[in-house]
Amino acid sequence: MKDLWFFFTLFKPQRFWLTSGLLLSLLTTVAGIALLTLSGWFISSCAIAGSVITFNFMLPAAQIRALAIIRTLGRYGERVVTHEATFRALADIRSWLFQQLIPLAPGRLSTLRSGDVLSRLTADVDALDALYLRLVAPVSIAAFGMLGVALFLGIYSWQISLVTLVVLLIAAVWVPWLFNRLGQMHAERLLVLSSNFRIRQLELLQGLADLLAYQAYERFADVLAEVSTRMIATQRQNNRLTAISSALTLLLGQIALLIALTVAALAVVEGSLTGADAALVIFCVLAAFELVTPLPQAMQMLGKTQKAAQRIRQIAEMSPTVVQENPWLDLPDGCDLRLDQVSFRYNPQQNWLLDNISLDIPHGSKLAIVGPSGSGKTTLLHLLMRFIDPVLGDIQLAGQPIKQLDPDALLTRFGVLSQRSQLFAATIKENLLIAKPDANPLELDAAINAAGLQTFVQQLPDGINTWVGESGVKVSGGEARRIALARLYLKNAPILILDEPTEGLDSHTENEVFNALAKFSVDKTVIMVTHRSAGLGLVDEIYQLQQGRLLTVTHSNNQ
Amino acid sequence: MPTPDTDNQHFFATNKAREQACAAWLKAQSKAAKKPILIAAGAGILNGLGVIAQAALLSFILQALIIEHASWQVLVKPGLLLLTVFIVRSLCVYWQQTVGFEASAEIKSKLRQALSTKFAALGPAYSKHQQSGELATIPLEQVEALEAYFSRYLPQQFIVSILPLVMIAVVMPINWVVGVIFLLTGPLVPVFMALVGMGAASAQRNQFLAMARMGGYFQDRLQGLSTLKLFGQAWQELDNINRIADDFREKTMAVLRIAFLSSAVLEFFSAVAVALVAVYVGLGLLGAIQFGPAQHITLSEALFVLLLAPEFFMPLRQLAIYYHDKAAAIAAADAILGILEQNEVLVSRVGNAFLPTKSVQDKAREQNCITSMPFRAPPSIEFDQVDKIYGQRQVLTAIDLTINAGEKIALTGESGAGKTTLINLLLGFEAPTHGRVLLAGHQITQEWAAQHIAWVGQNAGVFHGTLRDNIAIASPGASEQAIVNAAMASGVAEFSEQLPEGLLTAVGERGYGLSGGQIQRLALARAFLKNTDIIILDEPTANLDTGSKTLLLDTIDRLFKNKTLLIASHDAAVIERLSRQIVLQQGRLVS
Repeated sequence: MKDLWFFFTLFKPQRFWLTSGLLLSLLTTVAGIALLTLSGWFISSCAIAGSVITFNFMLPAAQIRALAIIRTLGRYGERVVTHEATFRALADIRSWLFQQLIPLAPGRLSTLRSGDVLSRLTADVDALDALYLRLVAPVSIAAFGMLGVALFLGIYSWQISLVTLVVLLIAAVWVPWLFNRLGQMHAERLLVLSSNFRIRQLELLQGLADLLAYQAYERFADVLAEVSTRMIATQRQNNRLTAISSALTLLLGQIALLIALTVAALAVVEGSLTGADAALVIFCVLAAFELVTPLPQAMQMLGKTQKAAQRIRQIAEMSPTVVQENPWLDLPDGCDLRLDQVSFRYNPQQNWLLDNISLDIPHGSKLAIVGPSGSGKTTLLHLLMRFIDPVLGDIQLAGQPIKQLDPDALLTRFGVLSQRSQLFAATIKENLLIAKPDANPLELDAAINAAGLQTFVQQLPDGINTWVGESGVKVSGGEARRIALARLYLKNAPILILDEPTEGLDSHTENEVFNALAKFSVDKTVIMVTHRSAGLGLVDEIYQLQQGRLLTVTHSNNQ
Repeated sequence: MPTPDTDNQHFFATNKAREQACAAWLKAQSKAAKKPILIAAGAGILNGLGVIAQAALLSFILQALIIEHASWQVLVKPGLLLLTVFIVRSLCVYWQQTVGFEASAEIKSKLRQALSTKFAALGPAYSKHQQSGELATIPLEQVEALEAYFSRYLPQQFIVSILPLVMIAVVMPINWVVGVIFLLTGPLVPVFMALVGMGAASAQRNQFLAMARMGGYFQDRLQGLSTLKLFGQAWQELDNINRIADDFREKTMAVLRIAFLSSAVLEFFSAVAVALVAVYVGLGLLGAIQFGPAQHITLSEALFVLLLAPEFFMPLRQLAIYYHDKAAAIAAADAILGILEQNEVLVSRVGNAFLPTKSVQDKAREQNCITSMPFRAPPSIEFDQVDKIYGQRQVLTAIDLTINAGEKIALTGESGAGKTTLINLLLGFEAPTHGRVLLAGHQITQEWAAQHIAWVGQNAGVFHGTLRDNIAIASPGASEQAIVNAAMASGVAEFSEQLPEGLLTAVGERGYGLSGGQIQRLALARAFLKNTDIIILDEPTANLDTGSKTLLLDTIDRLFKNKTLLIASHDAAVIERLSRQIVLQQGRLVS
């Protein structure tokens, strides 16, 4: 509940739209109940009166028409306003979340399995639309509507009012609560089973080659099918509970109706209630159950929405990996880097991933760090750009500890090319402009040529304005890397960080990328990390990172 | 920076064709669960009949009470009947939900089975190029997302086509004017919805798509956040996100404002029907109008038709509420079909390997030799003018190669030269575009290869279970001794002995984390236990330091002394130990 409350407070700026939506929904529902109630009374009164002389039918007939119109317009207004409110509130949450995540990137985000986490996060934000539309709205309408109905019935018969209120309350609060509780065990088991299923399915896909080659796929698939069967069996039990609760809600409503009918009948016989009023009361009780029918579903939404809210908060409220020191010093002029007895590990139980590393990287020097994957090469690069801070030791830029510098400003010194070339769903031009928002067409052309993209761009339907990424033109891994290379060119940063820059490329593209890099990096610092031999011609010095230490130093002769 | 195309209308249009294909597929799936869907619909219809009975009893009681001033004894019998109707209706609600569930349960199981078979048929060549995390959500979340469509939406669709007609049929003999009001307003709802533009259905769809698109845009930027930050653009992008969210909202609301007219239409007709019926029968009771049966109307008839007026529209309104189940199911169907449809591409490409091209006798002979005829002579491998082409890209060209039993071969070449493809052909994971690959004289299929070849890939899979289970993957019935031997020979024992539970230590996700070298040795143990005549190793020394490399190569020498051994590698230490070298260069063999 605390998590949901947190998001309610985020909704605050949109309270005008949110409350308007609620009021309109309430108006529509009440108009619906009133329409049926009034009609029941009207018909009975007509029947009792039997002629136009003794009964003024004009007013109730007009009221009936008015209620029909209010209900129609109210429904329309409610649809429009609640959706406007939802879109606005979701936009606010996205904006808030993005702001929360900016300081976490890239250090903290890279420690998560970010693809999965971020896509789930997006789905979770979308799930929050249910918070208003399917949770807050029906619950508050039910609450106010029930109160209104009880007060209204009270005018005619306090007994009927009381009975209706109690039964409505049971149906609205106790039944959903009880069945939620009864279903908890199943829900938990289901959670375990589906995470089991997910893990096994993932294993099956990741180990598909082994399983096929060892003729074990069928056996593993059978186990998976077994998990699925158990999942469905649990869902069946859960569904049965839900079905019982729906049936019970209906039955409760009808029992209330039956009691109201009995009480009304006795009152009419006794003479304390007129016949027409009895019809009015019965129709009102009948219509009032429209208020509670959406509630079981709202209760189901509660759990889901709560989980989504919880996950969003957990991620948004993580602490950044680097502690910002205020006030920051201005960026010094030079570009010499220096690692001074730097040690790093992700947690104190681990061995040192980087163990007491000292290294001078004067501006313009070109070096490569090789070593098996997992040896800490990429971590070293992240330390240099201050995505993370060393546990021991110190990193300096032009003699100034980078801890004292503005981290955003520090990043302007680095140009990065890695095996993941992030393309945005946008045009190629816009993808390039990220690197230099004010670049002119000449600069863009130069970048495209430098990256070897000209033939690719020429054959596109809209050239540089072609949409790439999702729902755009498919871009191969090599082309994506070249776009990243063009960005690197545009940014023109003095220190180039190359993290397995040609991983996953074919040898032809690899050569071209390295040739382009060689031309472009003449007066720049190059720090390259790789576990392959290709591209080592680009550098002057080669270091080997093994068991946390920079071991061998080779001076390559620009082979 | 980027300003995406927020023109929803265009986006919706391009999606429409795909959506229709998905909807058609969903319909086809429902055939498998026809019976439960019909029974659930039947329960819903019975419930509707209960509503009619309830209305009749209520109006009878009210008539007796208000007009006839009957004593309460007269009302006991209809009261009890009413109670019976209530109980039957509640049971119907229960049945509709539980039987509806069975419809989806059947289809979910079937689809999971189909996906599982499909993954195997597509083979590792396909799944390697996909995000396995995303792929894994399909049999779970996406299949799950179909549930409400089959369990709620389809039965409701059926109910909508029956129940209103029944109600009209009941009302007609009692008061034909009201019957005509129903008859006119009922079918008018869909007509007006269509006139208004798209109908409730389309409003839901537009809203669903708009949400999905905005979510997609947001996710795209979130995933690229690190890149944005590197270029100092993160805060600027926040403005963009806000601006685009506004833009999206305005454009989507412009569409929805029209589309929502359809919910207003539904509401309008149901409100108007109630109002019309009330005023008509009311005035009839007063004797104020002469039209139709108004003059002779009784209170119980009047109340009966009034009670039915809102119920007449109930099934349709329920269907509109369930509409988002359909939208969700279509989105899920899109993802599921994305996998299942791979079929056709694959059959044509892999066709000659997986489909029997030989005569029936040949096939029978082959079957024979798989099942009963043991191979004494170690099998040889033959590539006969093999080409492999992916789309435009030719990966292997005119490969002619014979590997004799017992040979020790290094397969070398730059990355991208086609080594992995060659091995995939040998393992039957893919089929050649032209030419043939023969193993022991038979064209290779995946099953055929699996019986003769033990293979250790670059990233061996580790599965949830114990170390022992993981070794025994090929032969779950292997004796304890054989497994221990394999563990000793491959060097698994060296580290498993350090673990408190030895070979019974749990590994895989949530279990003990194995290092790259340890996984490599585990994979060797598997290959050893399988004890086939041909062993293929793909880059066994990648990610290993010099010490563990020598250890591993010694093990390989020792383990596979009498086997045909093919190792793909560009490690000089590996190549020098093997007697023959095959070099691939841009998809061609060079000697």
